[in-house]
Order: sequence, then structure tokens, then C-alpha cells
Amino acid sequence: MKSLTINHLSKTYFDPYAAKHVTAVQDVSLDVPEGEFVAIVGPSGCGKTTILNMIAGFLPASGGDIIVDSRKVSGPGPDRGVVFQSHALFPWKTVLENVAFGPKMRGVGLKEREEIARDYLALAGLSHAAERYPNELSGGMQQRVGVVRALANEPAVLLMDEPFASVDAQTRMTLQEELTRIWQARRPTILFITHDVPEAVFLANRVVVLSKGRVLEEVEIDLPRPRSWDAMMDDERFKTLSARVLQLVRAA
Amino acid sequence: MSEAVAVNPALRLWSGYLRLVARHPVIGSVVPFLPLIALWAIVVEAGVFPRAFFPGPVDVFHSFVDLTRKGILPAYLADSIVRLAVGAAAGMVAGILLGLLVGLNERAHRALWPVLLFFQAIGDIAWLPLLIIWFGFGLETMTFVIVYTVLFPVVLNTVLGVRSIPLDLHRAAQSLGAPRWRILTEVVLPGALPNIITGLRNGLGYGWRALIAAEMIVGTSGVGFMMFDARRAGSVVEILLGMIILGLLWYAVDALILAPIERATGQRWGMVAR
Ligand SMILES: Nc1ncnc2c1ncn2[C@@H]1O[C@H](COP(=O)(O)OP(=O)(O)O)[C@@H](O)[C@H]1O
Ligand SMILES: [Mg+2]
Repeated sequence: MKSLTINHLSKTYFDPYAAKHVTAVQDVSLDVPEGEFVAIVGPSGCGKTTILNMIAGFLPASGGDIIVDSRKVSGPGPDRGVVFQSHALFPWKTVLENVAFGPKMRGVGLKEREEIARDYLALAGLSHAAERYPNELSGGMQQRVGVVRALANEPAVLLMDEPFASVDAQTRMTLQEELTRIWQARRPTILFITHDVPEAVFLANRVVVLSKGRVLEEVEIDLPRPRSWDAMMDDERFKTLSARVLQLVRAA
Repeated sequence: MSEAVAVNPALRLWSGYLRLVARHPVIGSVVPFLPLIALWAIVVEAGVFPRAFFPGPVDVFHSFVDLTRKGILPAYLADSIVRLAVGAAAGMVAGILLGLLVGLNERAHRALWPVLLFFQAIGDIAWLPLLIIWFGFGLETMTFVIVYTVLFPVVLNTVLGVRSIPLDLHRAAQSLGAPRWRILTEVVLPGALPNIITGLRNGLGYGWRALIAAEMIVGTSGVGFMMFDARRAGSVVEILLGMIILGLLWYAVDALILAPIERATGQRWGMVAR
């Protein structure tokens, strides 16, 4: 099962300079079934990145456990693809080589992995950029490649930490629409993290509101798909759901 | 209505020169030296200084042809270059390995970084008195000096390079399934490469100077020895020839080896300014 389950997850940091413990995440339980798109939303500092880094295996949990694809998480692995806010593309590799990196690590031969990479680049309309280096791309294109690189490795779960936070507003809307389109086409299991309420409501099937390291509430988003910003702007249900989530986040 | 504005002949000459240099870059590296050589020749011809103390470009060229024909210059040049190449290769390999260890391992960094800074500060030549007592006037002493000089800039820059790689790149590689040794070859080495090349550039530059100095003091052959030997014979021509060769050789190393590598790596990847 390509699903993600979190049971009673918690994280306490030790601050060596202040010589005290800081609780960043407390007793968080969450279920992302196969093929679902779940967003975690909350004000900055509420523990979103900490949760994602524990799921990715970058940080050890202080308590609780994380189960991906029926296995307990104990470190980073290719079953969990990560899309970073900083795009984290390898500057010394072309776009094609970046996207082919996961398959390369799996031992897939040169011809075959380049074919896989080209397929995924085509999916995101990036075929023309295959031979370029990341520094030759716009911010929006760099993020697209970041998403494609994670997808091309066919992870059980895709983890995204505010991937569109540093691109301009117009590009961000386009990227959001493209992500919903790719999700509908391929149905990957996605956990998406953001502080942007409309973004969470626009993208997800379910929005989890996080407050001071705890889950405050979960809101089902039963908006029809495909979703586009043109349609959402005047959609009453979108407005109601956004207002509801925003209220929760502001109370957080 | 647009009227053709007459182009200043000087500007026309300038633009012709720029186009010529674009087609043949070698011309661009030779032309700046022409006024210098002309000035040199004029001062010599004016007879301000005795000719034996201050020979002109033509005298130096004759000495070049003469020493080349006798085979002395090619032999000495080859000696110096082989010493530099062997010492630099050893210093580079050791420097990169040590730099990776210190850059990747926090404990090694804590333990070794201050020591590295300390020994870097003791300049190459400062070791000579001790080395002469230990190894005498010979190849061991010279090799030690070059390896030592090349090693430190390479180590320090490799450490900086390794530590400047963003954490997210390590994490991205891990999440894409890269085991530890693949992270070393796919992330750490290429990520540190622009800094490693900077270290190599500095190391070769210092090493070349240190070699010439060492050859003057402990050598029995090489360009540095040739210049110091010429002093004994009072041959200013050969000293000047040696100096010019030092400059030309460094220019060649830069233009033919270092600059092309830099253009193909860090500059291409947008990791360092052009
Ligand atoms: N390495 C760390 N050491 C100590 N405290 C940390 C560390 N990382 C995060 N924190 C604290 O944990 C809390 C949650 O941080 P984070 O997960 O980054 O929040 P978010 O991503 O929602 O903005 C914050 O109060 C932050 O100061
Ligand atoms: Mg964060």
C-alpha cells in the first residue's frame, strides 16, 4: 500500500545554547491513504517542516512512529520523494541528468533512465529544457524540475515543503494548476505543506490545520476536479472552505 | 531621415582590433606586452645604464636562442616543470583526500582545522633551514617544499567547498536513493570542485614560486638554479631570460589548463562569477 500513516508523532529539540528543551511537534496522528492529496497548513513555526523532515527521515522522531508502504521509517529513502522550497537541483547536472538521478541510483542503465526522465519532463512540458543547467532556468521552471525529479523516482509518497513559496504570484498559480493536473493524471500520494490557506484548499482533498505542534482540525475539501483558478475565484464553496480554514489558522 | 555620422578613424581602428582579437585570442594576449617591450628597448638604446647591467630585448632573445641551441635551457625547464608537476600532483591528491575528511567529518574538523591553519602560516621557504639539515641539498628537500606549498591551499579550499554545499542537496540525494559513497561522488566532489580548482590555482602559483626559490638555494639544475648561477657569472641577460620564462610559463598554465577547466565547470554551472 502506497500510503502514509503517522502515529502519535512528537519531536523535542534540545537548544544547547539556552540549555532547554523545545517541543516542536506533539502527539500528531495522520493518515494519507494511497492516491490522496493531503495538505498541512499552519502559521510559521507551528512544526510543519519538523513533521515533514521526520517523515523524510532527515530527523529522528522523539516519539511515535511513521509507516510508509507498510514499513516503519528509519532514515531517508527513495520510497519518500521530497520537493524542497530551495528546489535543491544539482547545479552540475543538466535538467535531464537531475531527473534521471533517482533511476540512476536504482541501477537503471543510461538509455532507459534518460527515456524515463524524458517521459516525465514531457508530462510537465519541460522537454525543451532537458539539456540546460538549473542556473539557466527561471525560478518557476526550477521548481517544476524539482517536482518532476521526485516523481520520476516513483516514490510511494511525495513530500512537499512549501515548494511554491519563493516564486512570483502568477507563476505560483500556474504551478498549482499543473500540480493538480499531474496529480489527477498519475494519482501519486502527496503530503503538501504550506502556510498559504487558498493554496492548501485549492490543491488538496483534505486539509489538516496544525497549531503549536498539534493537529487542530481536519477539513474535507470536496471541490470538483479538474480545478482551475479561473473557476475557483468565483466558486462559493471554495470561498466558504477557505474562510473556514483561514479562521482555524488564525485561531491557531 | 538619418544621416550617416562619420566614424572617427581611431574608433574604426579600435573596433577592427576587437574583431581581430575575437577571431584570434592569442593576439589579445600578446599586444598588451608590445608597449612594454618597446619602452624597455628605448631605455636600453638611450644608454642610460651600462649595457652589461641592463641588456635589451634583442640581447635576451639571442641568449634564449643560444641556450636553447646548447640544450641547457630545455633541460633546466624540463627539470623545473617535472618537479612542479610531480609535487603538485602529490600535493593535490593528498590535499583533496584530507580536505574531504576534514570537510565531511565534524570531529576531524574540530581536531585538525586549527593545526592546518598553523602549518599553513609557516611558509614553504621557512622550512628550508630545517630541511637542509634533515635531507641536505637535493631532490627530497625540493619535493617537500612543493608538496607542502600545494597541499595547504588545496586542503583549505576543499574544506570550504565541501562545507558550502547546501544541506538540501545532501538530503535530495539521500531521498533519491543515493548510498553514502554515491553522495561522495555525485554531490560532494562536484559541489566542492570550483573551490578545489581555486585551491589548485593558488597552490600551483605558490608552488611555482617556492620551487624557483628552492632551486636557487638548494638546486643543481632548473630555471631557478640557472638564474642564480648566472648571478655568479654576472650574466644579467640570463637572469632576465629566466624571469621572462617564469612569467610566460605561468601564463601558459593559466590559459591552457586552469581557465578552460574553470569555464567548463563552476562558471558553466553558475556556481562562481564569470
Ligand atoms: N534545529 C532546531 N533546534 C531547535 N528548535 C528548532 C529547530 N528547528 C525548528 N525548531 C523550532 O521548532 C518549531 C517548529 O519549527 P518548524 O518545524 O520549522 O516550523 P514551520 O515549518 O511550521 O515554520 C519552531 O518553534 C522552531 O523554532
Ligand atoms: Mg517550514
